[in-house]
Amino acid sequence: MFGNHVNKYFSAYAHGELTAVESERVAAHLETCARCREEFEEVKLGIRLAECLPSASAPDSLWEGIESSLARQGAEEKRRRRAASFPRVSSRLSFNWPRAATAGAFACFALLALGGWLYYRSTRPAWEVERLAGAPSIDARSFGETGRLGVGKWLETDEQSRVQIDVANIGQVEVAPNTRVRIVETGLTEHRMELARGTLHARIWAPPRLFFVDTPSAVAADLGCAYTLEVDDAGRSLLRVTSGFVALERGARESIVPAGAACLTQPGVGPGTPFFEDASEELAGALTRFDFEGGGPEALRVVIESARPRDTLTLWHLLARSEGEWRERIYERLAALDAPPEGVTREGILRLDSAMLETWKDRLEDQWVNEDLRSVRKAWRKLWK
Amino acid sequence: MEHCAAMGERQTHEAVIEACQRGERDAFRLLFENYKDKVFSVALYFFGGDEATAGDITQQVFLKLFNCIGQFQGDAEFTTWLYRLTTNACVDEARKRRRWLPFGDATEMKEPVVKKSQEQALASREVADSVKRAVGTLRPKLRVVLLLKYFEELSYEEIAAVVGCSKGTVASRLNRGHKILAGKLGHLRGSLVRTE
Repeated sequence: MFGNHVNKYFSAYAHGELTAVESERVAAHLETCARCREEFEEVKLGIRLAECLPSASAPDSLWEGIESSLARQGAEEKRRRRAASFPRVSSRLSFNWPRAATAGAFACFALLALGGWLYYRSTRPAWEVERLAGAPSIDARSFGETGRLGVGKWLETDEQSRVQIDVANIGQVEVAPNTRVRIVETGLTEHRMELARGTLHARIWAPPRLFFVDTPSAVAADLGCAYTLEVDDAGRSLLRVTSGFVALERGARESIVPAGAACLTQPGVGPGTPFFEDASEELAGALTRFDFEGGGPEALRVVIESARPRDTLTLWHLLARSEGEWRERIYERLAALDAPPEGVTREGILRLDSAMLETWKDRLEDQWVNEDLRSVRKAWRKLWK
Repeated sequence: MEHCAAMGERQTHEAVIEACQRGERDAFRLLFENYKDKVFSVALYFFGGDEATAGDITQQVFLKLFNCIGQFQGDAEFTTWLYRLTTNACVDEARKRRRWLPFGDATEMKEPVVKKSQEQALASREVADSVKRAVGTLRPKLRVVLLLKYFEELSYEEIAAVVGCSKGTVASRLNRGHKILAGKLGHLRGSLVRTE
């Protein structure tokens, strides 16, 4: 079971997590191996140090915050229930005074409830929309120079029209011609739009992962940035990032797209592999074949051979999207372009050890980020600290 | 409530959870009081001593718990569920920040509020402070298993269930974490011995 050395079992041994047989084997090995004894002492020191961590007390004020949130939720729920239980007046009421009085009371109540409901709707969060050109519409109704886009309402532009939307207080979105877009949700912890078709340009200055755009084939999660997102009639999309980073996500598949890079998505597949826009045409073409056209090994070969140092962005993403011999080849090319940092091993990367992949990516990101973005990062940190 | 306190720990949990599922606010308060320090401690050390973030995470975890407790069927340990919510909240928050904020910066770690009774049990303040700083520099995945082991006193199997990995991975991460701590704080070996 243990081979020559037993060092990887030391913590479990010290914590009594091994079976009796396993423990005996570790103990027997320790008696004969000076190297393992030395390493075991190190692990024991680590354990003793970790045991010194003091527990902390949560501030008493936390419960007050929870209680007030629960109270708000309760009030919201009641309001929703009241709106849902809006009474209906029977159409089969025949005219007689008692019934008429009852109907009148119901009608008054209904009017009051309707008024309350309309007031509630009017106070629901909405984003300011400014017309930039043409005759855009909200819920199929055109508006003047400005309008308000409420949650769930569709904003549409035709061939001539463009609008600018203020996304709460966190940024702006410019909606290009021939676009259909709506707000899915807007709140303290999340602002989410849906782009059904067309093009939008977003500039967001909020902390990462506060602004999302749903498309038919992926979700674009803002990580502090500016970008353009296009969706065609088939639901495919193209993301081009001009500042910061954007994550494109679909299920477990994620593509991180930095400034200067682009990424395609397709329904049924999700986000493709990101690539820098100044990458060679061979690389971009091969990548499209690999991601969406069943290009397979031949397409991967072209990507690997045409990758420059900056294309480690593409190669790093391909590690998890390839298998066997091809993952090995991608690793070799990646390592030749930028040697893996300390603690990252070939074996670990080939078995897709997530910690090692993250460590390597953290290092590679320096190549992906240009000088302008570094200064943006500094300014961003200063702003939000 | 007194009746609950007199019952065995497991039955107490079950009774309190059932009361929470019926929407009893007192029961939820009891659950909160029972686990708040552990959830807060994990979040605090996960975020390098940032009390404000740890407080936000603790509130988020208990609000989510309260909203979802009706779905808890008892098919998993309650604590496994709670700590999964906690670690997920920490990892999600870290993920939001990681691209921009220096995470676990040892030089910026604030002093956490320490329980007096536990403070007395510390080997020494110097050692404890150094360990806190060193833990703050560990990678999140190593940090999570270490915190679940030493604050929640979970077994490897329980940690594996919370984190969603194998027992072997837990053992390997703890091993790496221990070695990193020993490597960074080897110079404290003497003071550790003196204070024991």
